Amino acid sequence: MSSYRRDFLTLSGLATASLLLPGRTWAMPSGAKKPAPLTPPPSAAASAAVVAKSRVPADIPIAKKAVEAAIAAGASYADARLVVYRTESIGVRDDHVQAIKHGEDYGIGVRVIADGGWGFAAAPRVDAKTATTLAKTAVDSAKRSGKMLRELGRPPVAWVGAPVAKGTWVAPFEEDPFSVSLADKAEMFVDAAKAVMKVPGVAHASAGVALVGEDRAFVSSEGAEVHQIAYRLAPRLTASVVSERLGRFASRDLEVPGMQAGWEYVREIDMLGSAPQVAQDALRKLHASPVTPGARAVILAPSNLWLTIHESIGHPTELDRAMGLEADMAGTSFLRPADAGSRKIAAEGVNLVADRTQPGGLATVGWDDDGVQPGRWDIVRDGTFVGWQTTRDQAGWAGKSQSRGCSYGQRYSGVAFQRMPNVSLQPGAEGYTTEDLINATEDGVLISGRGSWSIDQQRYNFQFSGQMFWEVKRGRITRPLRDVAYQANTVDFWNSCDMLGGEGTYRVFGTFGDGKGQPMQSNAVSHGCPPARFEANIVNTGGGK
Amino acid sequence: MSLRQNQTKAIITQALEQASLGDVRVSVSASKGGNARWGDSMPTTSGDIERLTVSVTAVTRDGRKATAQSNDTSKSGLAKLVAQAESMAALSPVDPEIMPPRGETRYLAAKAFDRKVSTMKAATRAPIVQSAIEAGTSQGLAMSGYLAHSDRTVAAGDRAGLFGYTRSTQLRASTTARTADGTGSAKAARVGFGASTVDGDALASEAALWALRSKEPTPLDPGDYTVILAPQAVSDLLGFLVGAMSHRAAVEGRSFFSAPGGKTKIGQALFHPSITLRSDPTDAKNPAAVMTTDGDPQPMVTWIEKGVLRALRAGRFWGDQAGVPVRPSPSSLHLSGGASTDSLLDLIGKVDKGVLVSRLWYNRMLQPRTITSTGLTRDGTFWIEGGKIVRPVKNLRYNDSVVTLLSNVAEMGAPVRAGGTTDRTDVVPPMIVDGFHFDSTSDAV
Repeated sequence: MSSYRRDFLTLSGLATASLLLPGRTWAMPSGAKKPAPLTPPPSAAASAAVVAKSRVPADIPIAKKAVEAAIAAGASYADARLVVYRTESIGVRDDHVQAIKHGEDYGIGVRVIADGGWGFAAAPRVDAKTATTLAKTAVDSAKRSGKMLRELGRPPVAWVGAPVAKGTWVAPFEEDPFSVSLADKAEMFVDAAKAVMKVPGVAHASAGVALVGEDRAFVSSEGAEVHQIAYRLAPRLTASVVSERLGRFASRDLEVPGMQAGWEYVREIDMLGSAPQVAQDALRKLHASPVTPGARAVILAPSNLWLTIHESIGHPTELDRAMGLEADMAGTSFLRPADAGSRKIAAEGVNLVADRTQPGGLATVGWDDDGVQPGRWDIVRDGTFVGWQTTRDQAGWAGKSQSRGCSYGQRYSGVAFQRMPNVSLQPGAEGYTTEDLINATEDGVLISGRGSWSIDQQRYNFQFSGQMFWEVKRGRITRPLRDVAYQANTVDFWNSCDMLGGEGTYRVFGTFGDGKGQPMQSNAVSHGCPPARFEANIVNTGGGK
Repeated sequence: MSLRQNQTKAIITQALEQASLGDVRVSVSASKGGNARWGDSMPTTSGDIERLTVSVTAVTRDGRKATAQSNDTSKSGLAKLVAQAESMAALSPVDPEIMPPRGETRYLAAKAFDRKVSTMKAATRAPIVQSAIEAGTSQGLAMSGYLAHSDRTVAAGDRAGLFGYTRSTQLRASTTARTADGTGSAKAARVGFGASTVDGDALASEAALWALRSKEPTPLDPGDYTVILAPQAVSDLLGFLVGAMSHRAAVEGRSFFSAPGGKTKIGQALFHPSITLRSDPTDAKNPAAVMTTDGDPQPMVTWIEKGVLRALRAGRFWGDQAGVPVRPSPSSLHLSGGASTDSLLDLIGKVDKGVLVSRLWYNRMLQPRTITSTGLTRDGTFWIEGGKIVRPVKNLRYNDSVVTLLSNVAEMGAPVRAGGTTDRTDVVPPMIVDGFHFDSTSDAV
């Protein structure tokens, strides 16, 4: 493929237009073509209004009481989180609402270090008596862990320092998604589903949205006191088609990312306008040709590549995994603790950056759940793995005196531990468009959207699918394909990356469902990227023997 | 918090008394439990956690429906919650799939409560964790794991006379042993309602034994193989079958179980005649939930009888629409094939050439039409020859279907409770299955 790339580079001086396909090129729904709002417009008035409405600040004295009680019971460090976790979901099928659900839970979680061990306790009641009981229970757990560490000859928790966090942070938004009337919200999705159903041949449509609102306070025995509010939204629209004659069915999702934003984000997505395209794509998939397996080039659109970044770069660069702390569930990592700064895992020109300040990013916060203000740092620089994701009790393992600020606990009831920041692939300097990548490809498959994904516990072998698959031959899109997955070894795959889209092609996608820990907690995280070209093993997933 | 029957009834009654709509449905889910984790042979986090959810579904006369949830059980909190559900319902579009309130409902009886589990705390967790770590470190292994106990209450009521209540305990533990050179790994897991479910030392010793056997694996070429699936691997694949068993999806032509003309394959011999798959929440040794959190009863069901499909899942609306019995997603699955008392080791002895699979990991659906899924072997994969474990092999990615499992079965052993990667109570045998497809190898340990 690299020789073909050289050919392309000599050709690229020619007018790109002459290499473009006649007429419609490739069918990306308009919702995905539009750049995700990298900088959602902040509204000071809206932020002030939700802070004023919050029930959390009034209970901060109770959280402080828990911290004091823990220190009195013998803790060397204590923090308490008050968390209101709101969820709302609207589900639509064909032409009607199927389910509308709103949930709110509020409680307090107390985390302590005592005698060198960790302890935690949480309850759905926020009052002084509960706070004191939780503190004592957490300290009892911690002391038993500390004693066990000593008896096992292991070191106590090493807690690195951090500036004392103080302040209020609201993720930028314009329209509080929980304040918009349910009828208005539901109508948007019913209309979109109806528009999908209008296309002849469509069997079913589904649509809806998931909302999460996190309103949280954090106080610690170091004097930290912060209050943060963030909203997350994930809209969706799906068309399903069935052919009894072919004995097959297919479905197509609108490629629309979940974002940290307000309801204005949903209004910006032209779901209604995208609906016919989603339906037509589903029909196209139904009648598409089965893919022929074999090694070839894959051009991955941002709507597909983000999840590959999440699984193959995001997870193996979590330091707790490399240390073996997650071995019983999520697994470990192909990277070793000593690999940072020296191990080449990707082609030159491949740069991946972690950033918990990225506007709109699902993992963006003011402070993490250790009270650390996180920033932006390199994970992979010019193909070399350089930086771990860390928390305050892990930074020392990486020889660092400061945490990267990756601590998060879901709801009041989840103990904070290391969770993934937004990790994004940086665009290439050449400024290529998706069309440039297609035109430069002799034999490949263009893949967009999120499909099935599976990767091993050390993140070597993965197999990912997608939503739409297009055959690319001699620089042209030739036909849609079905039953496609691409399989590769992580390091081989990233080393095969030989073309990256430019800044104008960069898009952000994300998930609310990054699962880790026991009991499992869900983290929300975004990944930005341009389209990029790789070498992978194409698998036909049609099955049936 | 763990709630007694009269406490849940008080919450439900109080909420229903606040209702202004004729159709309001309330459910309460409460739990009190604790857990401890360990990794790299040291305790990491340990905690005690209470959770509570009150869920109110309000339905207007013209069929508008909405659900509101909170964890505030004060009188004013419940009043606010009911008012919220009712106002949300009024704002919601009409739901044509709405069903009348359930009213008085009978549930099967299952005993799944052990006071010893209900009262566990840090002091009872710590010795189990320490013995599990030391059983591995004494053999030079790196140990990680998880121990969790819970006491859970679920109750449901409505204005038409429904009141259902269950209280159950659960104790679960898992531990993974890894060799110091990082080339071997194995996991052992237990789950059950009773305090005798977990013995830290025995659990860790089992993981340690298999971890040492799995050290320094060598590659095996991908291809079609006879496999011996440990019960955990069988359970890992069965989840896809449950997902595929929607009666509605079958009628709508979106399923493996679809037959031409908007029909289903119920009554067809789809699998090997030795396969029988049932749900039995009342099983004395391995009980399961007798009701869903919405108050739907979990019935006894025979899904597959001697290879013939007998039933598919249906919710209340669809059951009514299609004229089939209501069957929620099951809380238990019992897979059996006769009276075999064979253990996993006995089955290994019966295989001339094949691959022993301990468990399957990161399993994802690929093609619902054929229920084809993908995933990887993990924590001990071995080449079997002449009825013996000959060598550990590198992990393999499979692309195959639970249909292969249920069709190409050559032998089944005695069913046992699988170690709990699902909330379902899976009681399944180890199985020998022919022609299982591995697509690629992985260096992961």
